[in-house]
Amino acid sequence: MKTVLKMGASLALCLGALAHPAFAEDNIVKIGVVAAESGSFVSAGHTLPAGVGLAVKQINDAGGFKVGGKTYKLEMVKRDDRTDISTAIAATQELVRDVKVQAIFGSETHDFTLAMAKITQPAKIIHFAGNSTLAKILNADSVKPGGEDHYLFQSEPQEFQRSGSTARGVLSLLEPLLGFKPKKSVMIVGNDATGQFLSSYYYKALKAEGQDVPDIIFYPPDTTDFSPFLTRAKSLNPDIIHFWYNGDSTLTALPQALELGAAKSYFLFGVDPGIWKEKQLSADVPVAMSCVPVCWGESSNPKAKAYFDAYFAAGAPHGVTSSVSLLYHDYVHFLVEAWQKADSFDPDKTVDALLTLHHKGVVSDDLTFNPTHQVTHATEVCAAAPGGAISCAMQQPPAEAPKS
Amino acid sequence: MDIFIQQILNGLSIASVITLIAIGVTLIFGLTGIINFAHGEFLMIGGIVTWLAVSAGLGFPLAVVLAILAVGLMGYILERGLFRFTLERPTNGFIVSLGLIVVLQHVVVLFWNPNQKSIPRPLTTVWDVGGVRIASVRVMVILITIAVVALSFRMITASRYGRALRASVEDRDTAALMGIPVRRYITGVFVLGSALAGLGGALLIALFPITPFTGGTMVMKGFAVALIGGLGNIYGAVAAGLILGIVEGFSAGYGFSQWTDAYSFALMILVLIVRPHGLFGGTSGPRMAS
Repeated sequence: MKTVLKMGASLALCLGALAHPAFAEDNIVKIGVVAAESGSFVSAGHTLPAGVGLAVKQINDAGGFKVGGKTYKLEMVKRDDRTDISTAIAATQELVRDVKVQAIFGSETHDFTLAMAKITQPAKIIHFAGNSTLAKILNADSVKPGGEDHYLFQSEPQEFQRSGSTARGVLSLLEPLLGFKPKKSVMIVGNDATGQFLSSYYYKALKAEGQDVPDIIFYPPDTTDFSPFLTRAKSLNPDIIHFWYNGDSTLTALPQALELGAAKSYFLFGVDPGIWKEKQLSADVPVAMSCVPVCWGESSNPKAKAYFDAYFAAGAPHGVTSSVSLLYHDYVHFLVEAWQKADSFDPDKTVDALLTLHHKGVVSDDLTFNPTHQVTHATEVCAAAPGGAISCAMQQPPAEAPKS
Repeated sequence: MDIFIQQILNGLSIASVITLIAIGVTLIFGLTGIINFAHGEFLMIGGIVTWLAVSAGLGFPLAVVLAILAVGLMGYILERGLFRFTLERPTNGFIVSLGLIVVLQHVVVLFWNPNQKSIPRPLTTVWDVGGVRIASVRVMVILITIAVVALSFRMITASRYGRALRASVEDRDTAALMGIPVRRYITGVFVLGSALAGLGGALLIALFPITPFTGGTMVMKGFAVALIGGLGNIYGAVAAGLILGIVEGFSAGYGFSQWTDAYSFALMILVLIVRPHGLFGGTSGPRMAS
């Protein structure tokens, strides 16, 4: 009996050692990226490996980083989730169990991240995702030591903050261009989990700013002909139509909206002014745009130009939502700083370090995680006048969520 | 009232593109028995060829011709190289077409990245008639579709080629015994259907941006229209395309907008239950002599 117990204990120890992230002998630390490099979410998805890859290159080119007296370099291992949740889960399992990564970044698709966390958290893998849906599971109980999501971090502000700063920025930039205070808004939203979640907050943010919002028009994902939806919006005679949230869909919809004369002005969520200029878009009415979180085509953020110059020089395409890369790039540097501060790769010590650090990133000079593992920073909003001039401003988030 | 008329006009233009793809589906399946689910990717390739041609500085009309020729040629190569080996086992052809979807999408992603592609509108005039906005590019798409549909209809119903084709559908083996080169006709129909998808892709990118994954949604609607109208029935495809376009427009405009696609497919299911051969009757595919 004793022999059987000893064998069982030995086997358990061996399996335990295998399950824990390991390092190659050449001191390479592997970090995983799960992102939509194909499928309908590709526009945002391909920015993840680009942003993380750039940070990895910057860290390795600088000679790596020291932990426990040894110098380490990073290796990014990326997997395409094909905008398919089953693929995202399988990729996460592979990265955690077979590749044995120390940390995972992604996915940008909101509901995928919730499923991925069910794999990363029991395995004690540090997990960063730039989507605000994580607020559904990140709370004092879940993030405490031993909690379900102790190793999970949200690298995007809480949705009431992002929606609040965006709504305020859009209205303040459009008002002078319209020549009157806009009062009526209609939202046009992609009908998926992300769209439904985000739009509920944006609706409240608009109401908090005094807007009359008579309709939220949901369209099926992959819609290309927006004319029936826009005609419905037009029948409500809105001052602003807010396209929320998929940048690619928004770019498809805008020309159709202009043809139909659907509103007096428009807001394009997640469309960078860089794309506006590159595609030589124009409108006979004011058009506001916002970036997640900082724009590359025109920005009031002094660090943005240097970052995006390096980002595009590394081969990333100019995309509608290239700025999404910043929800990941900064956090690779942040994580390395945490490992250095903890002087260990131990996940618990790393979490402690992440919660006490003030990191100087591109998005902000003072990136910190709150006790529920969420960041706070401003969002950039821009507006194109009918003549073509674009002005931008960083909008600080509201301190509290709207009451209703 | 202007909103109501606007919704009808909206429905007509997208119905045109769906009709073009549905005619391709209905001809190829109805007359040859090949279930080509990659037909949507043929449409996407047509759009990509148009984008490449326009980006290279060619005019839109020439780009359309190139798209038709390129996708027609692709159809010829794939029919001769792949689908002809599956004619006796349609299920194999169906599986081959599913594989082809992934291959064609990823070839485009590999060479031209997965981002949206668009071209400047070939026609930019917008007429305002009593509050109804009529975009000239949409009118162009509708008129081209009417012309192509009329030509295809005449070819199938009134020409010697069309009669031989219909005889092949009735009984492939007997038609062959009567001297009709059935295999060559199958290739011809496949190329024609492919060329129509190429034209559909060119017209689609004139209206909306496309991605390497655009074909999936369009082919589902194409099959829905082909089945509602009756497989092999061009008149049925046109009528069903119009019905589907109007249903989509009205459901988005007046119903639960997020269910727009669901209305279309619910209609398809209903029609298939009540009239299994479609609203206007179809062939159910070619028949072999027993």
